[in-house]
Amino acid sequence: MADTTAEFEALLMQRSLSDPQLLAAAETASDFRILPDATVLKIGGQSVIDRGRAAVYPLVDEIVAARAQHKMLIGTGAGTRARHLYSIAARLNLPAGVLSQLGASVANQNAVMLGTLLAKHGISAVDGAGLSAVPLYLEEVNAVVFSGMPPYGLWMRPAAEGVIPPYRTDAGCFLVAEQFGCKAMIFVKDEAGLYTDNPKASKNAVLIPRITVDEMKAKGLHDSVLEFPMLDLLRSARHVREVQVINGLVPGNLTRALNGEHVGTIITAR
Amino acid sequence: MSGTTNTIKHLGSPLARQTLLDKTLTRPVAGHRPIRILPWLQVVKIGGRSIMDRGPEAILPVVAELRKLLPEHRLLILTGAGIRARHVYSVGLDLGLPSGSLAPLAASEAGQNGHILAALLASEGVSYVEHPTIANQLAIHLTAARAVVGSAFPPYHHHEFPDSRIPMHRADTGAFLLADALGAAGLTIVEDVDGIYTTDPNGPDCALARLLPEINAADLAKLPGTLPVDRVLPEVMANARHIRRVQIVNGLMPERITAALRGEHVGTIIHTNATSSA
Repeated sequence: MADTTAEFEALLMQRSLSDPQLLAAAETASDFRILPDATVLKIGGQSVIDRGRAAVYPLVDEIVAARAQHKMLIGTGAGTRARHLYSIAARLNLPAGVLSQLGASVANQNAVMLGTLLAKHGISAVDGAGLSAVPLYLEEVNAVVFSGMPPYGLWMRPAAEGVIPPYRTDAGCFLVAEQFGCKAMIFVKDEAGLYTDNPKASKNAVLIPRITVDEMKAKGLHDSVLEFPMLDLLRSARHVREVQVINGLVPGNLTRALNGEHVGTIITAR
Repeated sequence: MSGTTNTIKHLGSPLARQTLLDKTLTRPVAGHRPIRILPWLQVVKIGGRSIMDRGPEAILPVVAELRKLLPEHRLLILTGAGIRARHVYSVGLDLGLPSGSLAPLAASEAGQNGHILAALLASEGVSYVEHPTIANQLAIHLTAARAVVGSAFPPYHHHEFPDSRIPMHRADTGAFLLADALGAAGLTIVEDVDGIYTTDPNGPDCALARLLPEINAADLAKLPGTLPVDRVLPEVMANARHIRRVQIVNGLMPERITAALRGEHVGTIIHTNATSSA
């Protein structure tokens, strides 16, 4: 970008921000990774935390052991209380932006609970996933807990249909990984990954170990393991070009995934 | 509280056990058109670069016009960012920062423009309010005063999308998302051009530029080259629930703001996909 810096500055000062030449010049800027050594984990709300002790305690032990080798940003999902809120708010015909605020409070509660269990190990839950003291926590104790919901609130982009917020904690955690240029993104759920059919409903469902976003869409699987607008975010990502979905109920899976092993479904941008 | 059972502690609700990803399952519960939360609200977005950066020559007449409008409308006045945001993009991109770092920096410039506007209207009871106040206490503020000022940028911040190095959810998009979520009576975007042209009226082909009195969001998305509004705005308008039309007016002729809020056609009207009944 060095040779064209002056040219780019001129475009920025003179042109509309929708100018194609300006946007093309902006693309040539270098990419700085803010937290390149950290891995973002998303601990599922309904799939993990709503199970209580049986699912959460073993994961807490694994996180505490893994932080000897790994730096982790641990985001939380919302889960069944968010669904209860969505059910009531949706039947009152409140908009997606209000449901987004309500759902965020449940992901917050889950972050507080996880942070409470990790407190004696020096691991804290932080308000909001913005940088603030996060780098210090990562440097000192190799882990920090955050609430997975993106901060869009009333400004949530609604879906084409309905009032369920389309960007929830999968998107929120993924965007933290991408925007901070993190090393990897792992979704900790209660299924081994993506199946050919809903594994909770169909006995013939077969696990798909690796798939691209386009293949998921072509197979009609985009409405399954992750929030589907997240797939478009993955496809346009610059740093985090693949994510892994793992079964966190199987002891050792999280540690193996943190070590870069393939234990669930890897979804790639291309 | 045995540690051996590993089952989900479901809380009974129509959405409890199903995937939220399946529309056929969520539609009966969540498929309706939302209510209008503040149906009497008029949202006015004031351009950062087009109005605020021009200084007193442009700002004072707009402020005088807004002051005259207060007895007639309850206003949420939202400000854009402007040239200082361009500068922070320039420095930030030179440092290699991602859009998620640039978005909150640019948003703070929109906020500063809001503080300036609010200071000029303070004697009328108008204050600058932050995003959490807009999201949660707008009703009481607009019951106590005829208008409040806020930043038009949406709080996408570190969660900005990675599609573009320049943050894509900016002031026009933020103003629209907010107005539509609140079910406002209208949104007027105040710029320094008469509306949307076939080509950029300040660009090299300005002689060919023809004003479009009306356009729908889908056609707006297809217009090549530059737009006086955010590129993502027509995309967001495709999923609008309440705001059926947005008018872009020239704030250098401030009387057009009043005319637009009275429903007159004085700029370019963008038609969204919101339907009158759904």
